[in-house]
Amino acid sequence: MKIKKLFQKTRFGIFSLFGVISLSTSALCIYTVDTHLSEEYENNSKNIAKTIADSSVDILLNRDLAALQSLIDQFVEIQSIKYIYITDESGEFLAHTFVPGIPEVIRTDDPFKTEAIERNLPGMGDFVEVGSPILAGIAGTVHVGMDTGLIALKIQRAIGRQVYLICIILVIGFFAAIWLVNLAANPLGDLLAYAVSLAGGENRASDDKLLSRDDEVGHLAHLLLYVSKGEKNEQPDT
Amino acid sequence: MTQTSSGVTDTEIILGVSAAFSGPSRGLGIELYRGASAYFTHINQQGGISGRKVVLKTYDDGYQPDPSVKNTLQLMLEDEVFLLFGYVGTPTVTRVLPMLKKFQDRNIFLFFPFTGAQPQREPPYGDFAFNLRASYRQETAGLVDNFVRINRKRIAVFYQADAYGRSGWAGVRSALKRHGEQIVGEATYRRGEKFTGSMRKQVEILKASDPEAVICIGAYAACAAFARDAVDLGLRVPIANLSFVGSENLLKLLTEGQENSDPYTQLLVNSQVVPSYEETSTPAVQEYREMMQQYAPQPPEELVKEDYTPFAQSFVSLEGFLNAKLMVEILRRVGDNPQRSQLEDAVFSVRDFDLGIGEQVSFGPDRRQGLQRVYYTVVENGRFVTLDNWEDRFGIK
Repeated sequence: MKIKKLFQKTRFGIFSLFGVISLSTSALCIYTVDTHLSEEYENNSKNIAKTIADSSVDILLNRDLAALQSLIDQFVEIQSIKYIYITDESGEFLAHTFVPGIPEVIRTDDPFKTEAIERNLPGMGDFVEVGSPILAGIAGTVHVGMDTGLIALKIQRAIGRQVYLICIILVIGFFAAIWLVNLAANPLGDLLAYAVSLAGGENRASDDKLLSRDDEVGHLAHLLLYVSKGEKNEQPDT
Repeated sequence: MTQTSSGVTDTEIILGVSAAFSGPSRGLGIELYRGASAYFTHINQQGGISGRKVVLKTYDDGYQPDPSVKNTLQLMLEDEVFLLFGYVGTPTVTRVLPMLKKFQDRNIFLFFPFTGAQPQREPPYGDFAFNLRASYRQETAGLVDNFVRINRKRIAVFYQADAYGRSGWAGVRSALKRHGEQIVGEATYRRGEKFTGSMRKQVEILKASDPEAVICIGAYAACAAFARDAVDLGLRVPIANLSFVGSENLLKLLTEGQENSDPYTQLLVNSQVVPSYEETSTPAVQEYREMMQQYAPQPPEELVKEDYTPFAQSFVSLEGFLNAKLMVEILRRVGDNPQRSQLEDAVFSVRDFDLGIGEQVSFGPDRRQGLQRVYYTVVENGRFVTLDNWEDRFGIK
């Protein structure tokens, strides 16, 4: 039937439209979540580094390195913070959380660096490291390393949940659209069959199902019946 | 039973203890408790202090900071003990100290923790603790001075990655600085490491620095594993341990099941903060040996869930014994109606007190550590004995 073909195109159009909406929304969501969460984690690390830097001034001035170690041990228990180290004003390592030792790449790097840098530590993984100066740098620098693998996993989970929700909305929306299209397509199909039967001379004058409808289809059915009757009356007797 | 003051009834004085009775360092908590328990049992059998028995309210923290904080809250707020006594470890004690400051209006003091770290000896928390033993700073300084004196200046450090390890590391660093030297290599391990674990990576890191001596700041299981792997990998230099290590437990791990354990033990040198329990001519040692034999103290049954065979004598239990002996003296000085607020004055009244080990004990507002002396021991015929001559034993030939 031509009607079905017409609505097949509509269904395809709806599916395509939903697909485009879902893909673009997912892409935007991935970008937004990735950017925001990455910034969030980086900011958290900066805040932690700054908190340690602020609270370690007295401890450093008192040269109580056990208390300093105790302080950073508490922060390294926070998930995704994988290492912390503190260097003094000469670059000497005063406290750290590395086991079995300070990685060579960190030992040989600039100890006063505070901007976010990406690091690969052999045997440990990939990290983003941020730093914060203690007493404007004259007492040393705090460095905090975040596990990017763990952060990526968290971001992937957050994105996954959003994309999952979008996909569910897509499927529900698609089936809802098909149901709505069918709601319009089925009476039109019936009307077409009715028109064909009238044209074929069949007596379906009392097709209540169509004629009793109080909508455009019902009105069209009445019109078709009327036209059909008029044509019959105009035919000469044979 | 009438409660006359917090932690004191007509018949009891209750002291709160949180220590390691489980986990790889349980030997430290158990031995410290046993030594103290021997002396308290003796005092209680003699009628107690002004008719009151000394009772230990004890909890297990497994040598972990969070449980020790929880136990301390329980002891201070729920059990309302008279004072805190015989805690074990730096990472645990450093977390507990701020709580003492927070509740300073209650006058709760920590007596004789089994740690030589600085936080309970210095501001801002030094006013809330009293120490008997010498500090890690003194122990590490003594070890460094002796190594440097025999020309072993390239010193590396193997340490626990926490406040205890850092405290010892800082002591070694500071002592070396005085000699114009610095730490040549360092390696760490995580607290709770077992003897069955591998320390090969740590040995390789230190071996690369070509040290002439290694100072270990750790507990017995990890330090024994390090000594074993160091010997196996050919790192043939003196390996020093601090008093906290638990010398007998260390030795037991290194010798058990070995046909010839000499390679693993002949390069060990352990610093101690009490004299050797083999020195029977020392009055307090004699007293300790008699009471350990007479009372055969056991750790609290409900806390010890893992296998542990106690030692007849050990440096740790001797320290616990001396802690208890001085504690009893202080409680006697508090008087017949003990109040927490009287404790500090009672401690400060201790001047040139003879504990029976040949070193007088004194306390004062600026002196919150009773003993200063450090002893050095090496393994001979399967036991730790006093080291007489560093040059002969460890001098570079």
